[in-house]
Amino acid sequence: MGRLYLIQLDGRVYSCRYCRSHLAQCDELVSKSFHCRHGKAYLFNTVVNVSLGPQEDRLMTTGKHTVADICCNCCQQVVGWKYESAFEKSQKYKEGKFILERAKMIDGDGASFYLDAHEVDSDADNE
Amino acid sequence: MGGDSDVGQPPLKRQKLSKPSHKTPCEGSRTGVAATGSAALMARSICSNDGETVGSHGQIRKVEFVRIIEQALFSLGYQQAGAVLEEESGIRLQSPAVQQFREDILAGRWDECVATLSEIGVLEESTYKAALFLVLQQKFLESLEASNTTAALETLRSEISPLGVSTSKVHQLASFIVCFPEDLLAKAQWKGAGQESRQSLLEELQQLLPPSIMVPERRLEHLIEVALQVQREACVYHNTLDHVLSLYSDHRCSRDQIPTRTLQVVEGDSLKVKYKFTGHSKPVSFVAWSPDDTMLLTCGNEEVVKLWDISTGQCKYTYDKPNSCFTSCAWFPDGKRFVSGGGDKCIYMWDLEGHELEAWKGARMPRINDLAITTDGSHMVSICDHKNIRIYNLEEKTERVIEEEKPITSLSVSKNGRYLLVNLVSQEIHLWDISAATKDLPKKYRGHKQGRYVIRSCFGGTDYAFIVSGSEDSQVYIWHRWNGELLDVLSGHSGTVNSVSWNPVNPHMFASASDDHTIRIWGLSNRPMPKKHDEKPGSSNGFDHLVNGGTRDLLENLRPFNSDTD
Repeated sequence: MGRLYLIQLDGRVYSCRYCRSHLAQCDELVSKSFHCRHGKAYLFNTVVNVSLGPQEDRLMTTGKHTVADICCNCCQQVVGWKYESAFEKSQKYKEGKFILERAKMIDGDGASFYLDAHEVDSDADNE
Repeated sequence: MGGDSDVGQPPLKRQKLSKPSHKTPCEGSRTGVAATGSAALMARSICSNDGETVGSHGQIRKVEFVRIIEQALFSLGYQQAGAVLEEESGIRLQSPAVQQFREDILAGRWDECVATLSEIGVLEESTYKAALFLVLQQKFLESLEASNTTAALETLRSEISPLGVSTSKVHQLASFIVCFPEDLLAKAQWKGAGQESRQSLLEELQQLLPPSIMVPERRLEHLIEVALQVQREACVYHNTLDHVLSLYSDHRCSRDQIPTRTLQVVEGDSLKVKYKFTGHSKPVSFVAWSPDDTMLLTCGNEEVVKLWDISTGQCKYTYDKPNSCFTSCAWFPDGKRFVSGGGDKCIYMWDLEGHELEAWKGARMPRINDLAITTDGSHMVSICDHKNIRIYNLEEKTERVIEEEKPITSLSVSKNGRYLLVNLVSQEIHLWDISAATKDLPKKYRGHKQGRYVIRSCFGGTDYAFIVSGSEDSQVYIWHRWNGELLDVLSGHSGTVNSVSWNPVNPHMFASASDDHTIRIWGLSNRPMPKKHDEKPGSSNGFDHLVNGGTRDLLENLRPFNSDTD
């Protein structure tokens, strides 16, 4: 394929588990208490090296949202989704932010996701 | 420039574009030059009347029109025709006084000149004095050259200084008295008495005096050239090498001036593989020809840089640094040095023997994505940290940073070294002026698709009037540089078009490289389609701008070398 354009981030970054391309910086983390079908998920302000899929409406534990799946530019794996719009006022804060599934990520210092087990699971979205 | 309003004049006559005193032509009229015959025709059919206008928009004064034509006739050498026109139209190019004045100047009869000057027309006080000064200055200098010092002194005293025009100049003239005649020419920057200096005096006076008294030289030609220039600039597809435009019709190039048709599809083993350069352990991501076309620099994707000799096919040197992750390199125009930069946040300048000449590093240096050097060697442009364009002036050691909002994937500089083009991930191409001191907004070009890959774009056509870029939707996009209009979208490739390169000497040809393992050569659509070739598969990754008109073996011989294949 052509030469992929991958953005390199500085500092502690979360990378794609399969291809190690950088996805998001630790500073951009908003919340760790989200859930998805495969386990935990983190909410980020911005992510890089991903491309958006088509938008669709999904019913989640917190209500109906319009989301678009995001996949890694390098390996084409679906790594999470982006909140395009939320139908309920209380969920509006998520609009424009990204969810990355913990199972698809590798932490900056190489730690695997098992170490995060001590986090409190509060009510959050189920995919 | 479309509107044609025919005013019902005799067929040979064309309409002038504008009054002599206005610079911009009006819309809807055609340019033209009245042929000699039509001048007489026209004069006969229109009676001379001072307030009358010609032209379909009534913007041209008849008197001025006739005078300019007369001037053109005289300057072309058609003295008789000019005289006939003057007689028939009753409009003289110059009043008799001006005529006399010109003759006096050219003959050197200075006193008569001075007398005539006051008769010429209503002149402003300062203009009159300035003109008088010029005439008397010429008289003074000629007397000095003839070693007639007393006469010169007399002129200076009684005629020039009472004018009160410019005391510093008068002092300067006085200083000329004390030099030798031989030095006079050099000191005064004067050509010496004779026709040449008198002619230039005449031209100076012409600029000084109002144009209605003395029509500026070559006025008609100037007006037509201005009109042609405007047409040329308005012509969006203009891409020809010849500079002479026809006067018979408004200049408008048709779409087939830009290459839109695939001339050749290069795939497989078609081009004779001259050399296969092996040695990189990572995919080759960047290639650069030396300015003299004898050497090649190749860069792996975050790897070492290798220098190859084209004539022998050998790797001359491998440039390495601990932690080397070079991503791009650029030659200096002298072909003896080049710079390379990469993810290790340093830019190194090397020579051909493998010595490191200079290094830019430090805490402030960011990660370099792309590098380029302008063709005059004065600026080094680098893409840092994905979003910043850093223009470093090599001579003055100063730099200017342009910040983009979205990440930049590739960089390209124009051949005249003034402009640079960057492709952004947000599917825009921005054109920046390197030399502009202020932060103007860049020109933006949109329409193509880009999101994941490094897509390259470049300048093209005569005067670099076009911007061409690849795209992830397998098409080639061509924009007009000045108005940003998307001129054409060329399909043909079946994969992402990664890189394009316009032929630097033939403005009607460019090449594109794509993920469908082919290179296409594009040319004008009235050429015949040639045959297809076959080649080994290998993804076409990138191009360097120096792909010359098909005479050189193209670079696909550099196979992307993956470490698990051989």
